[in-house]
Amino acid sequence: MARFKSSAWGLAVAIALVALVLPLMLPSYALATECLIFAMAALGCNLLLGRLGLLSFGQAIFFGAGAYCVGILSLRFGTGIVAGLLAATAVSALLAVAIGWLATQRTGVYLIMLTLALSQMFFFLCYAAPDVTGGDNGLMNIPRPNLAFGGHELLSLASPFAFYVFVATICTVAFYLMARLIASPFGATLEAIRDNEDRAVAIGYDTRLYKVIAFVAAGAVTGLAGGLYALALKFVPLANVDLAMSERIIVMTILGGTNALFGSMLGSIAVVVLSYVLSDIWARWQIILGALLVAVALYLRGGLASLLDKAVARANEGARP
Amino acid sequence: MITRRTFLGTTLTAAIASPAVVTRGLAAEQVRLCTALSLSGPFASAGQPAEAGTRLAVSALAKDYGLDVSLTMIDDEGNPGRAIPKLIVALQQGVRFFSGAVLSNVGLPMSAEVSNGGGVYVSSVGADEITGSACRRSTFRWPVPSYGAMRQTIVPLIDKHPETKRWYTITPKYVFGEAMLREAQNIFKERNIEHVGNSYHSMTETEFSGYLTNAAAAQADVLAILNFGPQSTNTLRQAADFGLKQKMKILLAWSAGTEQYAEIGSDVLEDVYVGAQYDAAIDSPGNRRVVELFRKNLNVTPSYAMVNGYVTAMLLMEGIKAAGSTDPAQVIKALEGRKYEGPTGDEELRAFDHQCIKNYYLLRGKAPTKKKDKDDYVDIISFGKSFPDAQHSDCKMT
Amino acid sequence: MSVNLLLTQIVNGLGIGMIYFMIAIGLSIIFGIMHFINIAHGAFYLVGAYLCYALVSATGNFWLALALAPLAVGVVAWLAEPGVRRLYDLPASLQILATLGLALVIQEAVILIFDPLGKNVAAPAGLRGAAFFGSFVYPKYRLFVIVFTAAVAAVLWFLLERTRYGAVLRAGTESMQTVELLGIDISRIFSLTFAVGAALTALSGVLAAPIRGVEPFMGVEALSIAFVIVVIGGIGSFTGALAGGLLIGVVQSVMTTFWAAGANIMIYVAMALIILVRPHGLLGRA
Repeated sequence: MARFKSSAWGLAVAIALVALVLPLMLPSYALATECLIFAMAALGCNLLLGRLGLLSFGQAIFFGAGAYCVGILSLRFGTGIVAGLLAATAVSALLAVAIGWLATQRTGVYLIMLTLALSQMFFFLCYAAPDVTGGDNGLMNIPRPNLAFGGHELLSLASPFAFYVFVATICTVAFYLMARLIASPFGATLEAIRDNEDRAVAIGYDTRLYKVIAFVAAGAVTGLAGGLYALALKFVPLANVDLAMSERIIVMTILGGTNALFGSMLGSIAVVVLSYVLSDIWARWQIILGALLVAVALYLRGGLASLLDKAVARANEGARP
Repeated sequence: MITRRTFLGTTLTAAIASPAVVTRGLAAEQVRLCTALSLSGPFASAGQPAEAGTRLAVSALAKDYGLDVSLTMIDDEGNPGRAIPKLIVALQQGVRFFSGAVLSNVGLPMSAEVSNGGGVYVSSVGADEITGSACRRSTFRWPVPSYGAMRQTIVPLIDKHPETKRWYTITPKYVFGEAMLREAQNIFKERNIEHVGNSYHSMTETEFSGYLTNAAAAQADVLAILNFGPQSTNTLRQAADFGLKQKMKILLAWSAGTEQYAEIGSDVLEDVYVGAQYDAAIDSPGNRRVVELFRKNLNVTPSYAMVNGYVTAMLLMEGIKAAGSTDPAQVIKALEGRKYEGPTGDEELRAFDHQCIKNYYLLRGKAPTKKKDKDDYVDIISFGKSFPDAQHSDCKMT
Repeated sequence: MSVNLLLTQIVNGLGIGMIYFMIAIGLSIIFGIMHFINIAHGAFYLVGAYLCYALVSATGNFWLALALAPLAVGVVAWLAEPGVRRLYDLPASLQILATLGLALVIQEAVILIFDPLGKNVAAPAGLRGAAFFGSFVYPKYRLFVIVFTAAVAAVLWFLLERTRYGAVLRAGTESMQTVELLGIDISRIFSLTFAVGAALTALSGVLAAPIRGVEPFMGVEALSIAFVIVVIGGIGSFTGALAGGLLIGVVQSVMTTFWAAGANIMIYVAMALIILVRPHGLLGRA
């Protein structure tokens, strides 16, 4: 794990490998696509929680905003896929400036409660604006445009396979960029703020600015994930912005572990695949999910990524003479 | 013409997709049905009986149809955001025959997705769009839409009680609620009824006493409750608490059947008018068979939710049998215009919008002392068929 | 809007607000003392309501349920607290993960034991139907709830403001270390606080059951409202929870006449504003 952490290329290779293997393990591209999209959503939350210790209950704002953005642009204006996704990323990043600026006025529990309040506010706003968001019915029949550049069609994304490759590429790049970000001096400063904010202030860092920038990066990648989700489902349900969505993203992030970015991929796969497999077996499957969450909180505090860490450490030990 | 890119794509797809570890493995010669229902989440109370009905249809009828049927359940968790990903997975696995959905906001995108995926969907949801503005060649629907629910409850109630001139409505701010309200207003206009007020509420509301006070203040003769599910239960319960039953007649236009009556309780339900898609007491040969089947196999008196699950799955098998093929296009053709003996009497899947033409019922709550058994909550007052004709339908099928 | 209507809405708001208060005060004292984010708090409300349903169906006696259900939940919480204690030192994120999991387990267990269908709980015999005061009509049971919760609030106020336990509790909300230095057995305080908080929340579930019925997802709704009230009133503040509960109850109730969706937006705007402007709540100790 340590190697992946130190090298953004290593992480990108690992994500690409997962993206290659995932369809072999799962019954459909749709499920694999969902895993990758939520891995990106959890990646944003991971940056905030893992690097800064900020727990945001507002991630659904960014995810939902990205999804609505792509949905509205392609439905009403016939915007292309690249422009739509860029707009989703930008709009979510802008929202994150505001949310981050507000949320970072406070710390600890108050920050959690503040993001919770903002998230609920956003939900009820979306609910109360059916002309824009489709209200409770959501936005339906969203087209998935083909990948085009300057009027030339490059790739049809109609098939599940093509769309999966498209999402996998974006996901790999997103993880790579995020790894670069946290490996940079900026990332080191975030950790310094997390470990001792007073000291970081004393050294002369404007810690609020750093936190807001982290929110923007997290919001951007989460919004991008939301935009892809709209294209994957061809549908934007109101549920994208509800509290359960924020919880889902948080659960994936913590379950996967926040010591490494790769944990977000593991957390997303675990939640998506578990809920798919278990719900088919037993209608009360959420008991199993709930018990698993309790067990991880108590006995596997580093999340699933720490399991992988231990396995790598053991393998290294075994390899030694 | 196969371009090199698509060729590469398909071979890669085949190579990558074949050794799936997590599958819901099914043999090729089977007919694969898939039902999406809320088995967990806040709407599991409607999903669970529908599941029982769907499973009974498959286990009891498949042999009669001479089909080897496997049934996959999708738990939509009461959330379209969870339902559609699972549906897409099923479609990609080759399932083509779908039924179900408790919630309209699941059923509508499901109809679109099944259509895109080349399947057939027999829907059990209430939303008008599904055989109206969003109708599709591949989608059929059993329940009566809001038009019939309003026509077959408000009109007979006015006929029965011509003295009720002032009506108050409580409506959820939701496409379905607004459709019911629109039709109610049309009837009020036709029949010279004064619509003394309407209260909109959100889908998350649990407290309705404010609206009920408004209704009392407006001195209405009839309170028409146009919401549905748990919200309508709460509205009715609170209406009884506030003494509205003594002051006016109450109509619950879109009830969910026995499970809901049990939740409301006979004390509250007594003398309340209730609109329903189905009741076990319906006197028809088709229903007698259905009731007996449920009693024999599951030892229950069937509720609307159970029968809805049952009929929608049955219609899929009926279509496959009639088509003699599992080609979705053939099955659609076989179902179009099909007449059959259903639980509500003669039923027909009319061709132009794929809506089932069946009865809707006006019932009235029984006094607790007059119940014959524990599931006996209501008397049938009247019933009939009302549907918008082709000119007035929003359905423009291409 | 008529005077009668406004009056009904306000009385309604007070009744709902008092139930909100009881849900929130449980969360507030538990959080104040243990600094532990309990997403499973709504489960106390849920279990209280279902115990009420089970007892009323079995015995037909609501009063028995009113006495026994909170007691049972309190005792279980008392016994369970030493087990829950290992969560206190975890980071907030893991507390949330664990209690979210616990909430899911309890909710699904309720569905397993009963079923997913909502249930009707009859009000006690003498309190069914409505009371008439001239043209003003109000359900008798709801009037009872207002009076009863007011009495509970008075007892609670006495307990928290006038007894040694209350003094320790208030001191503990500010600094648990001080309390420990005074030689007080804090593990007993923890257990007692958890039990009292749980019992109060279960009591609110019992009281709510005849008004709204019981269904497996009622805990979720109680939880979010409790968080809002605790934040608005101030963590660990008795008067804050009372004022917050009544305020939210009345605002929600009166707003239904004007703009129902707006009520929810307003409530969360208020919550956000208070955290930004007065993080210790309207009546919390700074």
